[in-house]
Formats: sequence, structure tokens, C-alpha cells
Amino acid sequence: MGKFWKEFAKGIVISNPLFVLALGFCPALAVSTSVDNAIGMSAGVLFVLLGSNLLVSAIRKAVPNIVRIPVFIVIIATFVTVVNLVFHAYVPALYESLGIYLPLIVVNCIILGRAEAFASKNPITSSIADALGVSIGFFLALLIISFLRETLGTGSLSVFGAKLFTLPVLGKDPMILFILPPGAFLIMALLLALFRKIGVMKCE
Amino acid sequence: MKLKALKGVFPIIFITVIVFASVGLITWTDSVTADKIEYQKEQEIKSMLREMFPSMSQYTFEDDIYTIYTDGVEVGYAFLAVGKGYGGDIDILVGLEDETTIKAVTIISQSETPGLGSRIAESSFAAEFTGVNIDDVSLKQDGGQVDAITGATISSRAVIEAVRTTAMEKVKSLKERK
Repeated sequence: MGKFWKEFAKGIVISNPLFVLALGFCPALAVSTSVDNAIGMSAGVLFVLLGSNLLVSAIRKAVPNIVRIPVFIVIIATFVTVVNLVFHAYVPALYESLGIYLPLIVVNCIILGRAEAFASKNPITSSIADALGVSIGFFLALLIISFLRETLGTGSLSVFGAKLFTLPVLGKDPMILFILPPGAFLIMALLLALFRKIGVMKCE
Repeated sequence: MKLKALKGVFPIIFITVIVFASVGLITWTDSVTADKIEYQKEQEIKSMLREMFPSMSQYTFEDDIYTIYTDGVEVGYAFLAVGKGYGGDIDILVGLEDETTIKAVTIISQSETPGLGSRIAESSFAAEFTGVNIDDVSLKQDGGQVDAITGATISSRAVIEAVRTTAMEKVKSLKERK
């Protein structure tokens, strides 16, 4: 059980997919315009990563080495398609706002990265722990970015239709830049710099 | 020798099995969600029609034309039009008051240049169409009644052309129906 928690915890901070491994930037920058999107995207990534890690780990001894990457990609693409259909059917609003980035989870380096680097070499329980840890790490990173972008860029914060607060000055005159693509790069760079400075995330 | 040949084929068999399993899973998910997705799309269309015809009580869909009824009386028609814009297809919902007059135009989706062409989705541009005769749906510079958006003539024209040509087509089939 100790190993499970070790694998789980490492994905959150010491090998956080976004801030330390620098994987999956594309979806992270694109969908971090609101906290809703961050939650939706993370839910999609969690499901796909859990499914692909589980399956890849289960068949790791049977997969012929020369076709392993195509096999992983087919597995990942399958789960992404399933997520896509489920989101379209049950959360259409979220499906609309995530747009093309939902099907693009298939090319998210985090998923293939974990399948190749971890799940194909480790037993099922560790792979599940790894998937959960990495997804939560991704979620927390995305949450921080999207929280800053939404509050600065729109001057208020609302989660799934419930308005949480409105900032005094920014509420009237929001810094729209932060909702736009340059804001994503700015926030991302500042956060990376901050985490390096205080030494939470160490680059090996 | 035989074993070696088998070893060479195994990766192919393996990936084939994986692909079939994948197809199976996706087919199953699709069959479970298809109805729900269809229902969602219908709800979306319904809410757009309701916005266009606030008094709508029901509608029918035939030959790609929505006929809108209020308490059993026909009050208008709506249909989808696709314009070839600067950045791809522009999906438009067009509402007709009767067989000659436009009631409203709604841009459903577009991928025009943000800030310029994307302004076709603003309500001020859509308002240009309200009450205009189908034959007059063209730019003012071309002798019509619609003002183009400054700096976005291509996008404006794409919408206008799509609305006019599709409207004429649909009116023709409406008249044939009667």
C-alpha cells in the first residue's frame, strides 16, 4: 500500500505533468480560460489516462515490442472517442466550450507519455496510482492557471453557473488580455518561474 | 521454421485484435449515447427556433424546412443555410415570416477572423436582415438592402449570399408543396 501512495503522490508535485514535466501544454493553454473548462478537461484526461494506463498495464507482457506504440495509440484513441461521445450526450455545454480540445486529448503527450514510460513497465495497481496522481496533478495545475485567468480576465469567478465573487475594480474593467492566448503564456511563465524560485518543483 | 513464421505474424494479429476490440467498444458507446445526442441537438434547434419565434407552440420538420405553428396556425418557416466564409463554413439559421420576408437570421457557428469577420455573429448585423424581402438580400453596394460590416466584406457577403440563395430555394419548394 505504501508503494501505491508513493506513485500517487509523485504525480501531484515532484513530477507534476505541467509544471515539472512540461507535458500537455497545448490543451492546458487553450482551455484554461475558465474554471469550468479546467474541471471538464481534467475529468476527460482522468478517464482517458485511467483507462489507458489500466489496459496498457494489463496487456504489457503480451504486446509485441515493435507494435507497442500503435497499440497504445489505438487504446488511447478509443477512450478519447468514448469520452467525446459521453460528453456530447450528457454535458453538451461543456462539450461545446471544450470544442476541438476534447478529441485532441488523443495527442496529449501526458497520456502516451505515461503509457510508454510507466504503465508498460509496471503492474496494474501502480499504474492506477500513477494515472490518478498525474491526473490530479494536471487538474491542480490547470485549476491554478484557469483561476488566475478567469478572475483577472473577467473580473469575477463562476463555477457551473454559480457566481462565486466579483472583484471590486476588475469587475467593471477586466484585463481581457488574460482570457486571450497571450494571457495564457504570461500566467504559465509566471507560475513556472514562481514554482522554480520557491523550489517546490525541482527540475532533475 | 513454422514457429518463426508465427512469431513474425503475431504483432499483426495482436494489433488486429486490439483494433477490433476498440471498434466494438466505440460501437457500443455510440449505440448507448446516440439517442441522447440526437435529443440534445433537437433541444438546441428548438431553443433557437423559440428565440426566433417566441410564440411558437410546436414545429414540424419536412424537406429540411422547419414550419412553425402557434396554436395550430402557421406563423413562419426556418431553415439552415451554409455560407462559404473567409475562415470556413458559416452555419446560419434563417427564419421567414412568410414566403417573401425574412424574420430573423442567427449565426449558429463561424470561424471568421476574430474582431473583423467574426462580427457577423453580432446582433446588429443579424438585425439588418429583419423585414427584408428575399429578393433584396444583397449588399447596398450591389443594389440590396443590407449593410456590410466594415472591413469584413467577404464574411458579410458569404452570409448574404447563403441566406438569399437558400431562401429562394426553400421558398420554391414551399410553393411546390402547396
